[in-house]
Amino acid sequence: MADVARPLSKEAGITEEEFARRKDYLEIGPDDIDRLKRMNEFAQEYAVPVIDEFYRHIMSHDESAAFFRDPRVLERVKRLQVEYFKRLTTGEFDAAYAENRLRIGAVHEAVDLPTKLYLGSYAFYLRTVAAKIREAYRETPERVLDSFLSLLKVVFLDIGLAMDTYLVRRERTIRHQEEALRELFTPVLQVRPGLLIMPIIGPIDSQRARRLTEQLLAGIRQNRARVVVIDITGVPSVDSRVANHLVQTVQACRLMGARAMLTGLTAEVAQTLVNIGVNLANVNTVGDLQGGIEEAERLLGYRVTREDGTPPRG
Amino acid sequence: MRVPILKQGPYLIASVQSALTDQDLVQLRDELADRVGKSRARGVIVDVTVLDVMDSFATRTLRTIAHVIRLRGAETVIVGIQPGVAFAMVQLGLSLEGVETALDLEEGIAVLNERLRATSGAVPDGG
Repeated sequence: MADVARPLSKEAGITEEEFARRKDYLEIGPDDIDRLKRMNEFAQEYAVPVIDEFYRHIMSHDESAAFFRDPRVLERVKRLQVEYFKRLTTGEFDAAYAENRLRIGAVHEAVDLPTKLYLGSYAFYLRTVAAKIREAYRETPERVLDSFLSLLKVVFLDIGLAMDTYLVRRERTIRHQEEALRELFTPVLQVRPGLLIMPIIGPIDSQRARRLTEQLLAGIRQNRARVVVIDITGVPSVDSRVANHLVQTVQACRLMGARAMLTGLTAEVAQTLVNIGVNLANVNTVGDLQGGIEEAERLLGYRVTREDGTPPRG
Repeated sequence: MRVPILKQGPYLIASVQSALTDQDLVQLRDELADRVGKSRARGVIVDVTVLDVMDSFATRTLRTIAHVIRLRGAETVIVGIQPGVAFAMVQLGLSLEGVETALDLEEGIAVLNERLRATSGAVPDGG
């Protein structure tokens, strides 16, 4: 994973101030820290049995058990959970803690652990811990609820961070997909000397339009093209902005001495353009790619015939 | 800097050597309008390969040159507009509407040859 080096807290926008604000909003105060620290003694003692129960619960349900098929993974996660349980009651919640929690959330997201299982497991975990607190404070039952509520605050802090990583990861995935789509490679192909075609597939935005134009212009110079056919059959929607980009591309080609033709305007696209009043009067349009290539060949003085001398359309 | 104008067969070739001031452009316009008659040229090529910017004045002047030359009975081809320049021009809304363009000098001469062949049937020698 290439992005391990980059702190998740940065990506999720969890600055130190933000982390402090969250703690403040949850009203985690010195009293809570105190109570948590006091629980640390028996946390050391109970950590292992709590986690054992926790995983017994997880393993007793097919859906959640599926995530721990590998016994080594289970062992490792258990060990981490024991650490976590002890950590919860040290009362120290700093940036390193936040980063650690975010990382755990990211691991959950990476293995596609559904949030329902994450939250469901957490609820079970809290019930188990609550039982242990009650047991430990047999002598002073009035401390049970307060202690549990203090713990709950930290747990909510935690869940908040984990949820954020879920969202951050999702957003990152979406962003990557968008980028991939935007960077869809569009080839500029020479069909014959002097004739280039550029079939555009996928949506066009300003950035892509710019890149496409630059690519095409470079192709014109490199291939010494005199006619280019731009096919937009694969462009899902053409609005006035996209149309404007296309007009600019055609004009730029002309400035370099190449005539550009637009092909593949579907019925819907043509209707839309007329309805929104886009003027393509200065753009040479031909029905489909074949028509465009034929027209281009004509302009360049090519004549395509069959071996027996009949024209290709028969 | 003054733009040298060379005679090549029936054509005049104005080869821009460096960035042009508005004054240079005006001078080029006047000189071409004058020379095209004197040398009885059939075509004019303005080579702007070295230019890495083309502003509205330059664009307008090139258009004017083309129109003037046409009235003097010859064709004008602007050659060598670089990809970046072409892109910047369309973004600025500058166009050379009604003016012939070609990739480079070679293509420009080919364009003029075609034109000449179409009008008079004569293929110029050495052009």
